[in-house]
Amino acid sequence: MKYKTRLKSFATALSFVSLMTVGGAIKASAEDVVLHMAVPDWPPTRIMKDMFDREYKPASGNKVTLDVDFIPWPDFYTRVNASLTSGEKKYNMAVSDSQWLGAFIEGGYFRKINDLIDADPDLKKAMDGMHPKILNAYSTYPNSTANYYGFPQFPDILVSYARKDIFCNDEEQKNFKAKYNKKLPCTGEEFDDVDWELFGNIGEFFMRKKGDMLAGKPADDDFYGVGFQVGKGYDFSTSSVNSFIWQAGGDIWDETKAPDGHAEGQVNSDVAVKALDHMLSFIKYMPPVAKTGTMDIFKTDELFRAGKIALNVDWVGLGEASLDPKTSQVADKLVFGMAPGTRGADGKLNRTSQIGGQPFVLTTWNTDIINKEAVGFVKWWLSKDVQTEYASKGGQSAIKDVYSDPKYSTYRPWNRTWASSLDYQKDMWHVPQFYDLLTQQQDQYDLAITGKQDAKTTLDNVAKYQENLLKEAGLIK
Amino acid sequence: MTTTAIQTPPTAFTTLALDNWKLAIAGGLGVSISACLAMPATSSFWVVAVMMALVAVTFVVNAFRRHYYGGLLVSPAIAVLFVMNIFPLLWSLGLSFFSYQSNQQAIRFVGLANYSKLLTDDLKAPELWANLTNTAMFTVLTVSVQMVIGFLLAVLFAKQFPLRRYLLILVLTPMMLSVVAVGVFFSYYYDPTFGVISQIIKAWTGEQFILFSSKAGAVAGIVFADAWMWSPFVMLLVLAGLVSVPTYLYEAAAIDRVGSWRRFWTITFPYIRGLLMLALLFRTIEAFKMADLIILLTKGGNDTMTISYHVIRIANEQNKTSEGAALSYLLLFVVIVLTNLYLYIANRRSQGN
Amino acid sequence: MATSMTIWEKLGFRKASRVGEAGWGHTLWAALVSFIYFLPVLIIVITSFKVQNEALSVPAKFFPTSFFGLIPEQYVFTPTLENFTSVFSRAFTTGGAVENTGFDRYFFNSMFIAGTSVLLALVIGTLAAYGFSRYPLKGNDTYLFIILTTRMLPAIVVIIPIILMFRIVGLSGSYPGIIFLYTAFNLPFTIWMMKSFFDELSLDVEDAARIDGSSELRVFFKVCLPQVVAGLAATFVFGLILTWNEFLFALLLTGSDTRTVPVAMNQAVAGGGIGVLWGLLAAIETLFLIPVFLVTFFLQNHLLRGVTFGTVKR
Repeated sequence: MKYKTRLKSFATALSFVSLMTVGGAIKASAEDVVLHMAVPDWPPTRIMKDMFDREYKPASGNKVTLDVDFIPWPDFYTRVNASLTSGEKKYNMAVSDSQWLGAFIEGGYFRKINDLIDADPDLKKAMDGMHPKILNAYSTYPNSTANYYGFPQFPDILVSYARKDIFCNDEEQKNFKAKYNKKLPCTGEEFDDVDWELFGNIGEFFMRKKGDMLAGKPADDDFYGVGFQVGKGYDFSTSSVNSFIWQAGGDIWDETKAPDGHAEGQVNSDVAVKALDHMLSFIKYMPPVAKTGTMDIFKTDELFRAGKIALNVDWVGLGEASLDPKTSQVADKLVFGMAPGTRGADGKLNRTSQIGGQPFVLTTWNTDIINKEAVGFVKWWLSKDVQTEYASKGGQSAIKDVYSDPKYSTYRPWNRTWASSLDYQKDMWHVPQFYDLLTQQQDQYDLAITGKQDAKTTLDNVAKYQENLLKEAGLIK
Repeated sequence: MTTTAIQTPPTAFTTLALDNWKLAIAGGLGVSISACLAMPATSSFWVVAVMMALVAVTFVVNAFRRHYYGGLLVSPAIAVLFVMNIFPLLWSLGLSFFSYQSNQQAIRFVGLANYSKLLTDDLKAPELWANLTNTAMFTVLTVSVQMVIGFLLAVLFAKQFPLRRYLLILVLTPMMLSVVAVGVFFSYYYDPTFGVISQIIKAWTGEQFILFSSKAGAVAGIVFADAWMWSPFVMLLVLAGLVSVPTYLYEAAAIDRVGSWRRFWTITFPYIRGLLMLALLFRTIEAFKMADLIILLTKGGNDTMTISYHVIRIANEQNKTSEGAALSYLLLFVVIVLTNLYLYIANRRSQGN
Repeated sequence: MATSMTIWEKLGFRKASRVGEAGWGHTLWAALVSFIYFLPVLIIVITSFKVQNEALSVPAKFFPTSFFGLIPEQYVFTPTLENFTSVFSRAFTTGGAVENTGFDRYFFNSMFIAGTSVLLALVIGTLAAYGFSRYPLKGNDTYLFIILTTRMLPAIVVIIPIILMFRIVGLSGSYPGIIFLYTAFNLPFTIWMMKSFFDELSLDVEDAARIDGSSELRVFFKVCLPQVVAGLAATFVFGLILTWNEFLFALLLTGSDTRTVPVAMNQAVAGGGIGVLWGLLAAIETLFLIPVFLVTFFLQNHLLRGVTFGTVKR
């Protein structure tokens, strides 16, 4: 009986292996403090863990271990959400998108840290040293009040990624000047000054078919003018639309004005409709995938790294990959500028923009000793030296002392834009209904982006839905 | 079956005995309900668990004393299924009558409000119907494509031929892949810039080809990927039927000069009908739950939202546990009706023939 | 009728009366179909040998060598094994130290969890199937239908109660928890399949054994079980394929120590501050495919025989 022997040997192997694992799973002494932390798996968190293991010496003298659960990004929310809401009480700290704050604070999972800040002058100093816009976005609930919850893990902003080899080409410069009577930007400073009008010109100008001349050579494939996120997943079109609406002087539903503010009339105001239309007008200059509603932050980044786009607006957090010749075909041809803005009557650019990045928070079930060690860890993390080292390795810092140091801009090519961009950052809702608001809005924007619905109908639908939902929730009177 | 069990008379309801399962159920139910009302969730859970264990023990003892071998053999499976499947199902069925959001502490009994809201609300009802229609469309399309492709592949492999073993395993491979990899790689195949399909069509016609620019294209793309992955499952079942047809039947048919169509319907088909039905049943159940490929390929764009994806959104992203549970019980109701209809037809057919 | 035969002849029906006699012509035809069917998998395998920059090249590069200049240079990539080593250890940050990715552990977890739970389901399910087949209960079909029903709901619905339950019992993130769950997950299919196998066995042999004085246990182990070995193999393979790639339960109920490959695979989907790491994802999938591919390949004959044996000869 051949199968029998096979099954038998398989079973023996299995039981042997299971014995081994049981043996290996027995954990060492319980007196040490272990901080369990849920983080998304990507370089900023890997760097943090690495620095902690090598450098952190707790002031208390306890032996503190940071047990980090690296969860792949696509499943991060699902995993953390399930862990928190099921009451598993597994994590002492967690990275959270700023928008999730309300939902998890109302659920009683994220700990308010005002008392910890008040009790600890060092921590207070560290929090005070943070850029106020970042502090509001990452730490406050209700949004922009003095109730604090989070510390920055990786602050993130939008910047322009551009192809130096193409923009600085004499031929292209000359043709552009002839066509639009404007200077085609070439240096970082010139890109800082790009407004959406010029952005549109650039988009139109660099649409090339395979074989057309591009920077003195025939293009080896179709080439596209511009790119930014307009995808249906997560917040990949909301982030873009928000910036356009804010810059045009409109607003999304503003929770700081609850319960008197309304969604209807504000979300679908004429200004907002115009802003959405303005954003939609750039899609024709993007790679064709934009019309399918799947052009998310990763797709536009991928297309840019493959050399298919002239000018791309994307998060700083995805920048490392474009500098690495292993993952980027344009690694040595890059120039970075601030994300485009809308030019006001005074000639100045309004750059109000959706903030990215994530804070991390403490959970409510932590014991005193855990809290004490967690605060110790946070103070270490927010200290100048640590943040500087973090930035030098590819992280970003929201601490004024750190980013205002002239050395800061030398760490990464986009850091030049960092300090000045921070002033313009703004966040969307922190209310617990966040995901509900977001998915409906993303669905509607997707219809507009894929050309199935006009901007007016889209925003009317969004406004109606939000008004209903928020009324039910008591956030609109 | 042939052994005759010695019948021990059933224990009277009031007797306190280990095989008195009726009393155990009554008592267990009473204790559990009062525990749920009086105690905090965690301790009442343990009480309920102990009560269930008690009922299980009485069942087993009862079966043992009266030589119900069937009951004894089935009990481990029933126990596992009860703990891991049926109990959570009942739990979520219960939740569907409450207003409960998993990220909030408050919980309130609302009766059938969740259901009536889903079926009558201005915003939710049309969404439900749209999602149901899409789910039905996907199910019909992908299952029928799978049946046809699976059947044709099975016919191709029905005979012995050189290297058959090695070629067969190639065809079986798609169903062994992880759905994440399939979804991500098909999004690459369908990509208008990098994708192989668009590149070939562009080289051919010179036109830019965007598969996901219309609903028809998006549905075709999703159905193609799903059917590609699961046709081998159908094929394997059908193939098993085809190779089981005794050869003497064909030889007899050849002597009688029976035409090939007739030969297929009268000789081959009866052997594969049962398996085709089994494949249809299992694939239909799975197709009704289709969500992950859609999430990976279109995120529900181009009107490709299905019920199952909608449930994931509601129950996971938005934490509306009760509403999600209610929605999935509506889905379960549809599937049960369909399955029963199907089993009824299948049984009638087989009796009729 | 002679004209209408051609299509069926082409599909291979002509020689169905003489099984085993189709020749190399048929092989050629089957090879062509199999190749086309296998192509998407082949592209994944090829991609696993490409560096990130070449994975998305336009036009797509399909060939690892130019075959002495036969293939134009633009379709040829430089094969590398880097992706396969990266699966197990790589630097997570640019210029960072090379670290263990934990995938050795994840591969072990997948094999251990899937293997154990499928075997467990096979044991419990076979007993139950034997019970349902030989000692039908009152309302037997209803029980079988209810068992099938447990597979009809989207998994997300039962996940919250299960997480709550696991938390109270202390099973979350442990091996027994997920193995127990997968056992339940596999049971309906196992019971349905194994029952149909037992239904087909001739009762005469069993009765003869009973008359000889064999106990019920002995009849089951010595008479029935040996006859359904092929069926056991078939059920094992189906169960393995379904469990191997299960994602949602694994995501929510395993911890960092017990995580399985389908969950960890997403590291390569949006991992290192970059979208899809195509080569890495392809390498993980290729490695992950090998065990289940081999099991299926070696059990292939039983698979066919088993399914046949069970469900056809009614």
